[in-house]
Amino acid sequence: MMFLEVENLKKSYNTGDVTTTVLKGAGISLDKGEIGVILGPSGSGKSTLLNIIGGIDRCDSGTVSVDNTEVTKLNDNKLTDYRRENIGFIFQFYNLIPNLTVGENIEVVSNISKTPLNTDEVLKSVGMLDKKHRFPRELSGGEQQRVSIARAIVKNPKLLLCDEPTGALDFSTSREILKLLQKINKEFGTTILMITHNAAISNMANKVYKVRSGEIVESIVNKTTMPAERIEW
Amino acid sequence: MIINKKIKRTMLESKSQYFGSLALIIFSCLLFTMFNLVSINLTGLSSSFEKDYKQEDANFMASKKINNTKALETKFNMSIEETNTIDYSVSEDKTLRIFSENKKVNAPAIIEGKTLSGGDILIDPSYAKANKLNIGNSIKIYDKNFTISGFMSLPNYIYPLKSESDIMNDPNSFGVAVISKEDFNGLNKGNIAYAIRFNDDRSNVDNKMSEFKDYLRSENIIILSWMNVTDNPRVTYFTAKLSGIEKMSSSMPVAVLLLTCILTGIVMFRMLKREAVITGTLYALGYRKREIMKHYLLYPMFISFLGGISGTILGILTLRPMMNYYVSFFNIPVGSLSFNITYIIISILLPIFFLTVCSYFVVKKSLRSSPVDLIRGGKEKNKVGFLERKVNLERFRFSTKYKIREQLRSIPRSIFLLLGIIMATMLLQMGFAAKSSMDSLLKDSFNESFKYKYHYVFNSIQNGKPEKGEAFIEIPFTMQSDNKATFTVYGVNPNSQYITFKDKSGNILKSDKIIITKPLADKFNIKPKDTVKLTNRLDSKEYSITVDSIAETFVGQYIYLPIDKLNDMLGFPSGSYIGLWSTEKIDIPENKLLASVTVDDMKKAFDTMTKPLQAIIGGIAFMSFIIGLIVIYVVTSLTIEENKENISLMKVLGYRKKEVYSLILNSSSFIVILGYILGVPLLLFSLSALFKSMTKEMSISFPVTIDYIYVIIGFIIIYLTFELSKLLSRRKINRISMAEALKSRME
Repeated sequence: MMFLEVENLKKSYNTGDVTTTVLKGAGISLDKGEIGVILGPSGSGKSTLLNIIGGIDRCDSGTVSVDNTEVTKLNDNKLTDYRRENIGFIFQFYNLIPNLTVGENIEVVSNISKTPLNTDEVLKSVGMLDKKHRFPRELSGGEQQRVSIARAIVKNPKLLLCDEPTGALDFSTSREILKLLQKINKEFGTTILMITHNAAISNMANKVYKVRSGEIVESIVNKTTMPAERIEW
Repeated sequence: MIINKKIKRTMLESKSQYFGSLALIIFSCLLFTMFNLVSINLTGLSSSFEKDYKQEDANFMASKKINNTKALETKFNMSIEETNTIDYSVSEDKTLRIFSENKKVNAPAIIEGKTLSGGDILIDPSYAKANKLNIGNSIKIYDKNFTISGFMSLPNYIYPLKSESDIMNDPNSFGVAVISKEDFNGLNKGNIAYAIRFNDDRSNVDNKMSEFKDYLRSENIIILSWMNVTDNPRVTYFTAKLSGIEKMSSSMPVAVLLLTCILTGIVMFRMLKREAVITGTLYALGYRKREIMKHYLLYPMFISFLGGISGTILGILTLRPMMNYYVSFFNIPVGSLSFNITYIIISILLPIFFLTVCSYFVVKKSLRSSPVDLIRGGKEKNKVGFLERKVNLERFRFSTKYKIREQLRSIPRSIFLLLGIIMATMLLQMGFAAKSSMDSLLKDSFNESFKYKYHYVFNSIQNGKPEKGEAFIEIPFTMQSDNKATFTVYGVNPNSQYITFKDKSGNILKSDKIIITKPLADKFNIKPKDTVKLTNRLDSKEYSITVDSIAETFVGQYIYLPIDKLNDMLGFPSGSYIGLWSTEKIDIPENKLLASVTVDDMKKAFDTMTKPLQAIIGGIAFMSFIIGLIVIYVVTSLTIEENKENISLMKVLGYRKKEVYSLILNSSSFIVILGYILGVPLLLFSLSALFKSMTKEMSISFPVTIDYIYVIIGFIIIYLTFELSKLLSRRKINRISMAEALKSRME
């Protein structure tokens, strides 16, 4: 059994009389410690797929299992526990709490983790220890994303879900962030699933899934992955 | 403008905030209109009553009958009328004070029924109500039947106290009545007193009275008792109540309005912050600043206009019941009510003015940014507050840090909550403090200091050793430095069994020394060994005495001297006295008595008085609960709205419902507790100041205390209000979806 297995996932939304089908039987899988990239244009359903895997949205049918837990069968309370214990989230726009300092933003997660890593060490590993007492609005976009990464990894999650982590950043900052993610993957053995519309990023992934109109149209297994510092676009 | 279409929609999106503001404005205007109209109507009633029914300037008893009243009236340009009075014991614990009908001074005002003809009697309505007497019923007075022809008020008995030293009346056991002079003469009983009222120029009444007293002395007429209307508690209690209402009418609504201004300011600020992108876009599309300003000012204008109108109407509607309530304590004829148009207009315009001005500054500040800055979310977004930066929270737990940061993030919101809680606390404790203070004044201070059960006052000076009881003298005095404030000087037995006072350290003070009570000492800043200069109110003679000790008591403003010393000072024969204190009933012929009061009378009066007070306390507590609920609920809603993305993020990160409730909803607990802690002493302080100013020209003083049990009850009520509003807000938190966090947001 794979670490992450998604099978025949279907999801549609009803708005008034209109039903929009977002996922039409998507399926992906990742082994433990792998980096996976879901590639697709806006509106292709990649974010919905990520949200269902992360336990913040529900599917209409199909299964998602993470580390032998069938996520699609969990009730609301169990889903909360699943997110709390297993999942780390990184968002395109960082989603830091503006009136908490960098250190305190990390504590938002360590506060509810059973065995959190040391905040200072995590900040050091993302290169933000010297800005521990700054507020998010005093940081650049890249720095905010580093803090967001630190917040995600402080609980040492089994699965790190990244929603367009470089979508709001310039090229060089993006590359720094990707390097950091690759480093985390290596150091902590964290499985990472990333969604992006930037095809260049797929070079650093073990598996790449291309999504179009709610369907996986192509899946690629990279025998060798490219170090993030060599990625260009 | 088409954009004005969104006003209603925006308001409905944040209902609790706008309805909260609306409710506070309604409340503020209700209080403003009601208190001001009540005040105007009561003042009007009082002055027309005083003028139309010729309220006395003073009344007195003399050692002999004054026969040349006509000549005196011309000489002093005044009206003088002889009044017969008698206390008729209807039963053992029920007294009806009967007066002969006056025409020139203190004429009875008929409230209901008709004037007197032979065999008729007019009685005061509260006594009639308490004793179930109706017009047409007959009452037996000394074997003669009288028919009640109507209900009346006497201008010198607006608050019908049995004795001048009483604090409250009890219509169950005491009332006043009037019969015709002929009928009174037929009774062949009673005392004679004189009521005087100066005509025309009433500016220098005090001097005129002194001249009149000098004249009486020159005619060898001894004044046995003298009471200026300004010292008469049966009139001044009403004046004090009026001044209390006046103070309430100015302070309370303004305080609520201030609270509303802060709230509206916050709501407007939040809205402008939220709508910065829209404002920027409107700018970019070519809208002028003036047009945008006009649009945003329509919000407070609409809310304050709606609130002003509704509150004012409610205020007008509550005038009649409030007047009935106030008048139920007093005996005063109520005519038609006047609805002062100026106050009604002010009540409607005041919130519009305040809220619009307050919002104008908030909007102006926000519109100062350039369209680009606004489209990017406003300049303010990148600022870190001074306090936010400076405060060091390292050593606290995460949840504590979060709660502190939440308060620092929006100082105005915290101030609004703090002021709201302080106000709710003060309002809640106002009733409790009034009850506690009454309890403590009567049950503790009074019982501790005065050990007698019966208090008799004769209508003339007595001599020799009384058979029963302990003799005393009571004489009204004023300070030479301030002839407005009257107090009583008592001559008491040097080894008195019935008067016990303690000094500051708790040592018992013996009555062989000159003792002054604390309220009087405080009023004139008198310390032990100080010499004070006094004027006898009865004959205007001046004396000086040296005070030995100060008694720690709040029973009233008194000076106690050994009786022989006082007799000697006043030039009375040794062994003279005017009254008796006793623990048992003494048989004294009625025609010798001016007044008799039992401690039981006082206790009954106290119970009668506190019964309606309990209903008021309940009412006020309910009002404070509502204010507290509005304030806390609005603040909680604001907090939730500001934290929408954070709450959503917490849910995504795996926070459980209870953890989110605790972080978000409990962030204000500290402010609620602080508000309560500040509210209690603030109330005690302001209530003391209020009572002090109300009783400035009266011979009583009112210690403001609060029983600790009420402090606890108050806290429970306020905290339950907080818990209730938290409970109501939970649904709002539950409604926030995790998708909020996934929507784009830039910091």
